[in-house]
Amino acid sequence: MRDEISRQKVKDEEIALLIQSGKIEFFDILLERYEEKIRRYSRKFLSDHEDINDVLQDIFIKTYKNIRSFDVKRKFSPWLYRIAHNELINALKKKKKNPLPLFDLDVFLPHHLSDNNDLGEQIERREMAELIDKCLGKLEPKYREPVILYYLEELSYKDIAEVMRVPISTVGIRIKRAKEIMRTICKKLGYL
Amino acid sequence: MINNQEPKTTKERVLEEIKSSQIKMRPKFYFVLKTVLLAVGFFAAGALVLFLISFISFHLRASGIWYLPGFGLHGWGIYFRLMPWFLILAGLILILILEILAKRFSFVWRRPIIYSLLAIILIAIIGGFIIERTPFHPGLFSKARQGKLPFAGSAYREFGMPRFHDVQRGVVEEVIENGFKIRTFDDQLLTVVLAEETQFPFGKEIEEGDTIVVMGEREDDTVRAFGVREIDDQFRMFERLPRRPMH
Repeated sequence: MRDEISRQKVKDEEIALLIQSGKIEFFDILLERYEEKIRRYSRKFLSDHEDINDVLQDIFIKTYKNIRSFDVKRKFSPWLYRIAHNELINALKKKKKNPLPLFDLDVFLPHHLSDNNDLGEQIERREMAELIDKCLGKLEPKYREPVILYYLEELSYKDIAEVMRVPISTVGIRIKRAKEIMRTICKKLGYL
Repeated sequence: MINNQEPKTTKERVLEEIKSSQIKMRPKFYFVLKTVLLAVGFFAAGALVLFLISFISFHLRASGIWYLPGFGLHGWGIYFRLMPWFLILAGLILILILEILAKRFSFVWRRPIIYSLLAIILIAIIGGFIIERTPFHPGLFSKARQGKLPFAGSAYREFGMPRFHDVQRGVVEEVIENGFKIRTFDDQLLTVVLAEETQFPFGKEIEEGDTIVVMGEREDDTVRAFGVREIDDQFRMFERLPRRPMH
C-alpha cells in the first residue's frame, strides 16, 4: 500500500493525514519527496556539509513531532518550509551569521503588490533561476530567502508569505528589490 | 580495522529514530493547549495594558497634572516633568509584548505591522480612557485609602494622592481677600495667594465648594498661584471620605 501511495502521487496533505492518524510508515514518502528540496534550500544558507545534514535531520524530526499541528486543509509544502526556515535561522544564529533583521520597514509598512503570474514573469523566472546560482551568495538573507523560494523552489507569493510569516506585499517588494540588486551584482561579475 | 559500513543518509537516520520510538508525535491536545495559552496570555496582557493606561489617566486627573497644559508653556513644562514616565514606559513595553503575541496569529502577520500596532494602541488608549471614566479606579482608590486594598493599595495611595511641590488640587473651603483656602485630598489646608499675573484660563468665578487645580510655588502652607482653574467633580467621591480626627 505504501509503494502504491508513493507511485500514485497521492497529495502530501493526504499522506500527512494518514501519519496524523498513526500510520507512521507513510512518513518516509514525505521524506523522499522533500529531502532533496529541503537540502537544496538549506545549501543556500549553510555551506558545511555536516551542518546541512544536521539541520536536515532536525527539520524532519520536528516535522514528524509536530505533524498533528498541520491543518490538512492547507498546503503541506509551505508548512514544511516554515519549519526549515526556523531551523535555518537557529543554525545561522548559532554561527552568528547575519540572520534576518529583528525590525524591517518592509514588514512594517504596506506596499503595493503587482501581479506576478503573467507570461513575461514566467519567462523571467527561468532566466532569473539561471542567474541565482551565480550571484545569490552576495544577497542579504532577507532577500535571498524569498528569491530561492520563488525562483528555485517555485513557491507562490502566498506560500512564501506563509513560510516567512510576512505580508504577501512584503514578499513582492523583497523579490522586486532582490532582482534589482542581483542584476547589479551579476553585471559587476560579468554575467550580464 | 576498516569500517565497511556506509554512512547513514538523513532519511535513514530520521526513520531509525522514529522506529526506535526515540521521538514521538506530539498529541493534538498539546497544540490546542498551546493556542489556548497564547490566547489567554494575549488577553491577560491586553487587560493589563487597559488597566495601566486607565490608571495613568486616573493619576493624571486625580493629581491635577492633566490640567496643566491649560496654563500655557510653563504648564506644559511642568506637565512633562511630572508625567509618570515609569508607568508610561511599562505601558509601552506591554504594548510591544501584545504586538509580539498578536504576530503569532495569521490574521495579524498577513498584514503590515503598522496596522496591528495602530489597532492595539488605539484600542488601548480608547479602552483605557473609557475605563478611567467609570467608578473603577476611584472605587479602588477609596478602598486603598481605607486600607481595604492589600494588593496595589500603596500604588493607589501614591499615584492617586501624589504630593507635588508645584501642583495642588483641592476643594475651596473659603474665599479670602487675596485668594482662597483649599482643602487637599490628603487633608491639608493650604492658602492660595493670587497675584496680578495669576492666570485663570477657564474664568475667575471660583466659589466655595469648587474643586480647583493650582499651579505655583509652595512655601509651607502657602501657594503663590501662577495659575488657577476649576475642574470637574469626577473625583469628589473620594474627597468626601470621613476625615481622620485632628489631634
